[in-house]
Amino acid sequence: MSGLLLLAGGCLIAITVTVLGALLALASHLPLDALWLALQQQETVFALRLSLYTSLLALALALLFGTLAGYLLARRSFPGQALIETLLDLPMVTPPLVAGMGLLFLLGRDAPVGSAMAAAGWHLLFSPAGVILAQTYVATPLIVRSARAAFQAVDPDYAAVAGTLGLTPLWAFLLVEIPMAGRGLLSAAVLGWARALGEFGATLMVAGATRLHTETLPMAVFLNIASGETEVAIACALILLSMAFALLLVIRLLAGGKSAGQGQFQHA
Amino acid sequence: MPELRLEAVTHPVLGPLDLTVADGEAVAVLGPSGAGKNTLLKIIAGLLPYQGRLTFDGVSMAGVPAYRRNIGYLSQDLHLFPHLSVENNIRLALLFDRTSVGQRRERTRQILNLCAIAHRAQRRPQTLSGGERQRAALARALARHPRLLLLDEPFSRLDRSTKQILWTELGTLRRHLGLTALIVTHDAEEAVTLADRVIILQAGLLLPAAATPPWDT
Repeated sequence: MSGLLLLAGGCLIAITVTVLGALLALASHLPLDALWLALQQQETVFALRLSLYTSLLALALALLFGTLAGYLLARRSFPGQALIETLLDLPMVTPPLVAGMGLLFLLGRDAPVGSAMAAAGWHLLFSPAGVILAQTYVATPLIVRSARAAFQAVDPDYAAVAGTLGLTPLWAFLLVEIPMAGRGLLSAAVLGWARALGEFGATLMVAGATRLHTETLPMAVFLNIASGETEVAIACALILLSMAFALLLVIRLLAGGKSAGQGQFQHA
Repeated sequence: MPELRLEAVTHPVLGPLDLTVADGEAVAVLGPSGAGKNTLLKIIAGLLPYQGRLTFDGVSMAGVPAYRRNIGYLSQDLHLFPHLSVENNIRLALLFDRTSVGQRRERTRQILNLCAIAHRAQRRPQTLSGGERQRAALARALARHPRLLLLDEPFSRLDRSTKQILWTELGTLRRHLGLTALIVTHDAEEAVTLADRVIILQAGLLLPAAATPPWDT
């Protein structure tokens, strides 16, 4: 047993050292004054602003669709549910580049959906709106899955009892079920936001990689590494890493507490 | 005369049932696990579909959703909302009352005092003792002046001494408020103590009044 623990400890150290090594290599690649200058570059500031703006809008959309869809999947069974759930999980396991290609073909001018949208004056492709679409597309399945689990952890009888207290199903959902699933939904939101912030492949296909137009933080890393301007690339990469670290920390802190729907009767 | 009346009410695990509960009367439904007691209460509360005729005050409850019935329902697990304090659990029940904010606040204070739980008003349900949770859930169920109170094995999770205290308190409260009540239990002593009349439900059917419950023989 001690031999197994020793081996496991070795594996843990190897993984930790590799992650830490990559982080330190990135952080120490630029002297501090050069990094400070790169952080103030117009391109870095633009990428940060665009990333925040698009990812927060994508998060709002993904939360709206994902929470409601997750609620339905948690509370009802219907024919074809397994098929729909598998389809919803698909964007999580397919390469984002492939998902982006699908969206590109769906919304291209030659496709019925794309031509109808163009006729209505909606131009999603190769614009910041395309960035939001790509980010929403990759974040929503994560939120659906987490929201479904969060609602499944809440006994549906709470909503039924809320009904006997005069609350309509909508109010019971808003005032009882959502707060009781709150911790899980908050974790879902943080996870979805992290996914949207780091989105690259689908964004590249749907919104393109145009400097100071559709240049999110991951896109800035790609464009600047490709053109040999490592300062901005490293500055953007470090911003992404810091945000990802902070978001992961939040998830860990949220996971540390009990879900509101659990433990209610432990004192009974 | 306001009364609860069930005529040929059926559900896959229940009935056909005929039952009348007079205004101000407390009826205990006694029966073993799986007899359909819980289903009966859920049907009356509007939480389960049924066939047959269910009226209250002579008004059919067909198609009337739970949130419009104004029936106080105390479930076995109480289902106090854990994200709200005891006071806010009660205030949530009064949220859609057509009264002023001041009147709702006053009603909350009244009901907290009436159910002897005012000293725990700011506490979350999960921090209360079993008896305190019972009082808080009863206060919430009574907050909207319900026309009928349904109690589903209300004290089954409590120790005997707490149970006896609450039996007395509930009896006093019910007489004070003139409440009509239907109490479901598998405890014969509880049924006799709390109710004016005891009926027996077995395998989804009501036994004749004079019948001896087979699990007592």
